[in-house]
Amino acid sequence: MRARSLVDGYSKQEVGNNPPILTGFFGSFGGRYVAEVLRKPLHELEEAFLSIVPSKEFQEEYQAKLKSFVGRPTPLYYAENTTRLLGGGRLYIKLEGLAATGAHKINNALGQGLLAKRMGKKRVIAETGAGQHGVAVAAVCAHLGIPCRVYMGEVDMMRQKPNVFWMERYGAEVVGVSSGSRTLKDAVNEALRDWASHPEDTFYILGSALGPSPYPDMVRTFQSIIGVETKEQLASLGLKPTALIACVGGGSNAIGFFSPYLYPIDESEERIKGTETSNMPRLIGVEAGGRGPGKGQHAARMSGEGKVGIVQGYKSRFLLDEDGQVLPTHSVSAGLDYPGIGPELAYLGDRGRIEFITATDRQAIEAMDFFARTEGILFALESAHGGAAALRLLPSFSKEAVVVVNMSGRGDKDLFITARELDRERWREFLQREVDSLGDAL
Amino acid sequence: MKKLMCHLVAGYPTMNLSFQAALGMVEGGASYLEVQFPFSDPTADGPRIQEACVQALDGGFTLREGFLMVRRLSRTIPEIPLFLMSYASLVVRRGISWFLDQAKEAGVQGLIVPDLPFDQDEGYYEAAWERGLHPISVVVPTMDSKRLDQLLGLLQSHGERYIYVALRTGITGDPTNLSDENLSFLNMLAAKELKVLAGFGISSYGQVEALSPYVEAVVVGSYLVGIIRESTTRFGGSSPDQGESLKRAVAKAVSTLIHPV
Repeated sequence: MRARSLVDGYSKQEVGNNPPILTGFFGSFGGRYVAEVLRKPLHELEEAFLSIVPSKEFQEEYQAKLKSFVGRPTPLYYAENTTRLLGGGRLYIKLEGLAATGAHKINNALGQGLLAKRMGKKRVIAETGAGQHGVAVAAVCAHLGIPCRVYMGEVDMMRQKPNVFWMERYGAEVVGVSSGSRTLKDAVNEALRDWASHPEDTFYILGSALGPSPYPDMVRTFQSIIGVETKEQLASLGLKPTALIACVGGGSNAIGFFSPYLYPIDESEERIKGTETSNMPRLIGVEAGGRGPGKGQHAARMSGEGKVGIVQGYKSRFLLDEDGQVLPTHSVSAGLDYPGIGPELAYLGDRGRIEFITATDRQAIEAMDFFARTEGILFALESAHGGAAALRLLPSFSKEAVVVVNMSGRGDKDLFITARELDRERWREFLQREVDSLGDAL
Repeated sequence: MKKLMCHLVAGYPTMNLSFQAALGMVEGGASYLEVQFPFSDPTADGPRIQEACVQALDGGFTLREGFLMVRRLSRTIPEIPLFLMSYASLVVRRGISWFLDQAKEAGVQGLIVPDLPFDQDEGYYEAAWERGLHPISVVVPTMDSKRLDQLLGLLQSHGERYIYVALRTGITGDPTNLSDENLSFLNMLAAKELKVLAGFGISSYGQVEALSPYVEAVVVGSYLVGIIRESTTRFGGSSPDQGESLKRAVAKAVSTLIHPV
């Protein structure tokens, strides 16, 4: 795999002969809307990102660890059974969930962890929603020997208990957040507060391509490996993608997966949208449709009622009420249950380069079940939203079309959610027996 | 002369009680009031103020009611300058012009919006000055000197003299020590004839006394939120005297910050 450089950083601006600087903006989205106390640490982070990450030494270490520690490259799988069953385009699945700790999150956690180390930071903090980013950060910190604290909303801790357990096994301190909606956004708030109190010695590993600049650029840079690898794997088969599909919470897997195909967008309409006959693939982001339309029932920012706003340090589309208060969200998958979307995705969505659609809780669970039975592949509930969209859209493509869906995570972690949805009675009996046997042991 | 800027969250514990608390602050000797409009995700606030915001929102706080309350305050106590603190999301949602017009009409003199920094402000600073409102910057002693010069130049060119200093690198509610770094920063600002509002973590007469010589007013925030919470819990229920007793408790707390016991 060739070394990646910041030549792929899109919000950069060439100034004469000077090296590129990040503008931090994607159209009018993005930016660094933070209290003054966080300006300096963010500026230091930006400088470190721009000078250290493109260096040969950093890239060699990062690429080596992506192989030996993360297990890259992840496979690109031809879903032959599904293709035969549904007709229409050929479906490929990028098995990103086979990366260490079970999701794409580790690409970014490793990159930022290595950067923290080179900046001489003594302590790492992170937020987590589903727990996948927290688990990845905890594993990376164990690997690199840095103390780690993970903030997690109490609601998420309840529904993703196994991930809390694993983070603690990796030696991380998991701190429950009891404020606000007690989910991902509140964990972000708490991590920002911690960072504001300890900016000198602490590195904040943010898990999605959002937040104040330079995070959206940095997270995309570290996640772009998904798209670059997919492109090379397709090329080795003599293929080009017709459409790429990814689920979108904050959007880190989507922006990384789409990254080789995003720009330029300022040419013909066909090139912006991507069609079967153009050189640019269609890019399709799938948001959480939850229980359906209605306040607090979903997390559809782009395909729903998202409003332009400034929250948590960046400008983007958010689910807000008339006053600007952040609305509650719902998704069966904790990782998509977030009221905002990364600024670059929002910009590309508004420009029409990325199409946004939704899949409901029920459709995601059905897709998870379908791919397990049909392909022997287990999607995480987040990624299963992408899977559901693929199943819906595949028949509408021609036989020559190549459709690739990113399975950003694998589904083992969702056992406690999917089992109660799909096998409730036997699951109840099993849990009862477990509880009884725990009692006996006491 | 010790001047205080007292902070309260509009709608905490209820809209009417926050109004009573504000009157108590003035009765106790506050020179300025900082009224915070609660936001669902207040990243620059510590746990106490955050909790108060959650409770105010759970109680149904809306911008409409918030501006009504502020207008009532400005008419009841016209001699006390009122500053409005909130977050960018609320300020930009219906448009900055709309928000500032409402603030002006309600009798507000200035605004504090920590996540609209002067160089990424969506036009907020100019729009405030056009309406004769003070857009008050929040600065920290650790600020890069070039950036600070840039800001001070901007303020000077508009004749803006108010500036708000967050004394510790951290979040409201932490204890504050007047370190050399803090003092030299305050002295530097005072030398530029700025009206400095400074605080974070103020809870005693000693702290007020130490800080007063360097500032226009000492900001008291979390401590008073705590007083309001205690007082409300103690008297509980919905007794008709609750407003009166809350007002007295707040007045006493403020007074003991200004006068030695």
